[in-house]
Amino acid sequence: MGKTSIEKLFSRLAGHGVKAGDFIWAAPDLVYVHDVLGPMMLSSYKKLGNPKINYTGKVIFVYDHIFPPKDSASANNIRNMLGFASGNNIESIPMGEGIEHTLLIERGAIEPGMFVVGSDSHTVTAGANGAFGAGLGSTDLACLLASGTTWFMVPETMVINMTGNLPRFSTGKDVILNIISKIGVDGANYMSMEFHPSSDTRLQLDDRLAIANMTVEAGAKTCILPPDRRTDAYDSIIWDEDAVYRSSLDLNMSEIRPSVAVPYSPGNVKDVRDVAGTKVDQVYLGNCSNGTFSDLQQAAEVFRKNPVHEGVTAIIVPATRKIYARALDAGLIKTFIDAGCTVSPPTCGACAGLHMGVLARDEVCISNTNRNFRGRMGDPGSMVYLANSYVAAAAAVEGKIVDPTEVF
Amino acid sequence: MPKAFVFGDDIDTDVIAPGGYLHLSIDQVKMHSMEAIFPDFPKMVEKGDILVAGKNFGSGSSREQAPVVLMELGISLVVAKGFARLFFRNAVNVGLSIGTIIGSTDIAQGDLVSYDVAGGEIRNVSKGTVTRFSPPQGALNDILNEGGIVPYTLKKLGRSK
Repeated sequence: MGKTSIEKLFSRLAGHGVKAGDFIWAAPDLVYVHDVLGPMMLSSYKKLGNPKINYTGKVIFVYDHIFPPKDSASANNIRNMLGFASGNNIESIPMGEGIEHTLLIERGAIEPGMFVVGSDSHTVTAGANGAFGAGLGSTDLACLLASGTTWFMVPETMVINMTGNLPRFSTGKDVILNIISKIGVDGANYMSMEFHPSSDTRLQLDDRLAIANMTVEAGAKTCILPPDRRTDAYDSIIWDEDAVYRSSLDLNMSEIRPSVAVPYSPGNVKDVRDVAGTKVDQVYLGNCSNGTFSDLQQAAEVFRKNPVHEGVTAIIVPATRKIYARALDAGLIKTFIDAGCTVSPPTCGACAGLHMGVLARDEVCISNTNRNFRGRMGDPGSMVYLANSYVAAAAAVEGKIVDPTEVF
Repeated sequence: MPKAFVFGDDIDTDVIAPGGYLHLSIDQVKMHSMEAIFPDFPKMVEKGDILVAGKNFGSGSSREQAPVVLMELGISLVVAKGFARLFFRNAVNVGLSIGTIIGSTDIAQGDLVSYDVAGGEIRNVSKGTVTRFSPPQGALNDILNEGGIVPYTLKKLGRSK
């Protein structure tokens, strides 16, 4: 009987053949931790008696969630993590380099075929580069560093068969919103999502980042999409033709329309035309799912022709310093500023209600981020709509949600 | 006598432990638990109370603060029709008793309850009925029996006190 990709991956880690439902103790290839959930990991590590680190893989600390720090508490959190990192031979990525999930793929730290775990639920984003990623809690990570291994249940797999290509103004964001809308916000709970694009289906990395990132919004434990560049490690985990899947979903990309997830669930997905006219106070572009260069290009296409609507706040957040520099060289940043946008340094910022654009009571925001839960971006009385970058930018210039074709 | 707090489906981690307070201490975060849907929750919980929810409880973030604030407020048992993976795993790790409801339940907001975690049973004293739940199985149960993954790991490292 053949194996799914995740069964092959966990077989490698376990050192023997495993199948869905098996329970293993294993060491991932990389562990990365950020500045909001890291401090709790340090306090759990202290409860373990601050032992020597027994985990032998790579550990990376990233300071991205509240960077630059907004208050003394967030500044102290980073200071404490820097101290722990230097005392335990852990790599700290220089502050301000960018948002961890996008950044670690950009830096080559997450390569095809790897298994990575992180302190963040969006660690599933690694799937965009042919790697498996899974989030873990702070204490779990502390125990992994102290003992060298952690436990996993080998998940069942949902396969998504993709054919055709996306039409103009539809992006990876619309692909994943459509999937979540079809299977529900717990439709892939505990599962691995394995994407099988047909040979003529083109999905560039930036679209794959958007897709992989939000698989956790369907409850997935992890996911994988074929990378641009194959490696031996990736080839060793390619699914068998006779692998056994829990379920499958067929997706014709050419039928995917620009979509909007309305409050308060990433699963409340509607065609953009069905929510047209909804007034917005803020537009927020950029996070670990959609702070890519492609997203900035898409937004700039809109802002090149139209300024930000009066009374609307538009915030643009390039996901990494490198993306920011590339956008600067390409003239995109000037386009944003001339149109009346506020350009932020890379940070997780207001996506998680942390800083740099947190919403007031009754404010309505449309964003290309990944969660629209109640109070997610600030006041419990605020509302967030999720959409691709064309749709979000078009709303910024019209002051209300519109089909992006209307601004071209 | 302990009472039940009842919530619906898809209660997410931003509602349980809002992001804007996560960089602060647990004592501060817990005062904002459920504020978007039930602002008086932190003031009303007393030690030993239980939480009953629908499907996909704890969806969203990996933040361990979600089960921790519930514990710190005094919640002693969380049962739901289903849990998101990370919340379930974190709850076991921090030693919060948790279980999946078998069949249905008639427990309503404020009902008085008594419960037997090991036996997987909640008695609804207000109504005279019983709700059954299945506690974590296998290795998860081993971790919970040690009181969470910290004591479990200390034992594994040969450092148990």
